[in-house]
Amino acid sequence: MKPPVFFLLIILLLGLTGCAAQQPSLPELTVEAGEERRCAAVFPQGRWEFVHTIEFSMADGSGATVLGVTSLGGDEIACALMTVEGFTLFEAVYRDKEGLEVRRAVPPFDKLAFAAGLMEDVRTIFRAPSPAKVQYGRAGGTIPICRYTGVEGRITDILPAMAGCWQIRTYGADQALNRSVVGSSCRKEGESLIPEHFELKGFGHTNYTLKMTLIHVENLGAVGK
Amino acid sequence: MKRLLLLVALSLFVAVPAVQAGAASRGEPVTQVQPGQLRSVQADFIQEKHLKILARPIISTGSFTFQAPQSLRWEYRTPIRSILLMHGGKVRKFVERDGVLTEDKGMRLDAMQVVLAEISNWLDGRFTDNAMFTVSFPKKQTVLLTPKEPGFAALISSIELKLGDQAGLLDKVIIFEGPGAFTSLTFSNRLLNQEIPAAVFTKQ
Repeated sequence: MKPPVFFLLIILLLGLTGCAAQQPSLPELTVEAGEERRCAAVFPQGRWEFVHTIEFSMADGSGATVLGVTSLGGDEIACALMTVEGFTLFEAVYRDKEGLEVRRAVPPFDKLAFAAGLMEDVRTIFRAPSPAKVQYGRAGGTIPICRYTGVEGRITDILPAMAGCWQIRTYGADQALNRSVVGSSCRKEGESLIPEHFELKGFGHTNYTLKMTLIHVENLGAVGK
Repeated sequence: MKRLLLLVALSLFVAVPAVQAGAASRGEPVTQVQPGQLRSVQADFIQEKHLKILARPIISTGSFTFQAPQSLRWEYRTPIRSILLMHGGKVRKFVERDGVLTEDKGMRLDAMQVVLAEISNWLDGRFTDNAMFTVSFPKKQTVLLTPKEPGFAALISSIELKLGDQAGLLDKVIIFEGPGAFTSLTFSNRLLNQEIPAAVFTKQ
C-alpha cells in the first residue's frame, strides 16, 4: 500500500539539508563586469500576486497536483497551497522582521519544518538574496552568472540569460547544489521577466521536483507606505 | 476536500428533506420533491476561492453528476482539469499532469468510506440526525451546517446552503474555512432524474 501523497510531500520537503554524493557542486566563476540589471529582473519588484498549478513528484514517480498562491509586497511574502478543489491546506506569511507566521496548516502540513522548507522554496524563486558579497562573471566561459554569497556561506547563482528566461541555483556552505529553479517561456512584465513555467528541483535525502505552471499573475502596483 | 465535494453534491438533494424539516417545524407548507424520488442530478458550477492573501478570487468551472445511491462524477474543467469518480464502492481521482489526466493514487480511501456512510444516511432523509453537523435555518431558503466534531470544525467552520425558489434545489453553497477564507459554488443547468450510463462514473 502506498503512503498518502501528502505524506510523501512532507518527506520530500523536509529532506533538503542532506546532500547526496553525486550532487553537482558549485561551478568556477570567471569574474568580469556585471550583469546586475538583468539579474534584478528575475525578482519581481513591488506588489504581485501569482497563482500556479504545482505538480510535485518524487524519484519513484509518485506525486500530486495542487494550486499555489504567492503574494509579494514589500518585506512580506505570503503563500498558500490548496487542493485543485479549492480546500486550503496551508497558508503562511513571511515578514523580514517578524519571520514566519503560519495561518493555517492542515495535518500533515502542520509541521514547522514543512512550513520553513516551503517558504524557502518560495523565497528562492521570488526574493532576491541578501548577500554579504556579490560577484558577476561567467561559468564555463559563456554562461553569465550573478553570484550572491550569504554570511552563512550559502551561495545563490542567478543565470539571467538561459534560453530567453532565467535559472537560479542555490548551494549550501559545502558548495553542493541544494536547489535549482529553471524558468521557461518568460514574458516581460514591466521590468520583470515572468516565466510561464518553473521547474524547481530539490536535492538532499529525497530528491523532488515541483513543476509550476502560471495560471494568473497580476502586478498590484508599488508597495504602499 | 473530496469529502466536501460529496457534501455539496449530496446537498443538492439533501437540502430538500432538511428544508422540509425546517419548514414543517415552522408550520409552513412543504411542497418539495420527496428525497426518494430523486434518482440523479447533473449540474454545472462556478467555484470562487477567496483567501485573505488573494486580491481577487480564483475562479474554477466544472460540472458534476450524481446518481443514487452512491455514484458521483465531480469534474473541473478550469483552471486545471481533474475528475473525481465514485462508483460501486470504488473512488478514483484523476488530475491533469503534463497535459494528460493521471490517476492520483494518494487518495485516502478510508476517509471516503466514512463519507459514503454519510451519503447513505442522507439519502434516507436522516439529515437532521447527522452526527457530523448541527443543522439550522438562519433565514428562509438558507440552511447552515455547523460541524460538531472539533477536529472537523478546525478545518471547516460552517457550510451555508442557499436554496433556489424552485423545487428546493440548491443555488449556491458557501464553505467557510476561517476568517477571510471561503469557497462558494454556484450551480446552473441542473437536470434531474436523467438516465446516466455507468461509464460516466467509471471512465475519464
